[in-house]
Amino acid sequence: MSTPRSFPVFAVVFAVAWSVAYVICVEKNYALFTYHPALYEWGLGVQKAKDGPAMYWFGWMATSGLFAGAVALAACWLPESLTRRLWSGWSWAVPVAVMLLFCYLLRGYFLR
Amino acid sequence: MFTVLLIVHGLLAVALLGAITHQTVSVWSPARKPAGSFIGRFRSVPATSYANAIVVLYLATALLGAIVYTEYRVVVRVVLEQLDMWKTNGVFELKEHFAALGLGVLPAYWYYWRTPLLGEHARTRAVLTSILAFVVWWNFLVGHVLNNVRGFGS
Repeated sequence: MSTPRSFPVFAVVFAVAWSVAYVICVEKNYALFTYHPALYEWGLGVQKAKDGPAMYWFGWMATSGLFAGAVALAACWLPESLTRRLWSGWSWAVPVAVMLLFCYLLRGYFLR
Repeated sequence: MFTVLLIVHGLLAVALLGAITHQTVSVWSPARKPAGSFIGRFRSVPATSYANAIVVLYLATALLGAIVYTEYRVVVRVVLEQLDMWKTNGVFELKEHFAALGLGVLPAYWYYWRTPLLGEHARTRAVLTSILAFVVWWNFLVGHVLNNVRGFGS
């Protein structure tokens, strides 16, 4: 199966944009939608917990996916002279940094 | 129904764990000659042929995990909070975030495992595989421990 010539640009930029967008969405609670598991109800945007907890994880991923998809598609339109110099290592360096950042952000769970 | 989904989720995770571990070992320590020992055969698998299966298994495992997560949020997590089991909740928080970050690297992982493999991307390929291996191992072990903490079917 052949892939478009710009696919490596899309893949690298998507990995970077997804990771950065996801940690921002979690920290700022930018959820595209909310799920209320006790009620089996979906709601648009960030909603407060109703009868039971509210889940934002799906909404964070949806927001991150839309953002990362848009940024990665936009990067595919950049001239090849610019994208040729894109380091493939960004596709792992940024996600690893964000994983370490999550360990730091969640340290409260382990220091109680 | 959630019990069935949890079991299927676990079985898919086992298959994913095996595939990604084979690939990770073979990418960091490829066999240079015909393997005779168990370890040698373990690392001499054709790593390229695992990539598509790993992407499909990761997506399927994550999808089932996301469905099961809704039940976990109501039935398990609330109890863990009431019992002040903060470390247990913390490792699960990491599990959900690592799983999400793993989804984001899948396109790059898939692309850099496409044949013919380019030598200039060997390190990127190896590290992306290792990230996924770490995420899969972490999530498998945390899921297993959490299942034991709450008790199956309780």
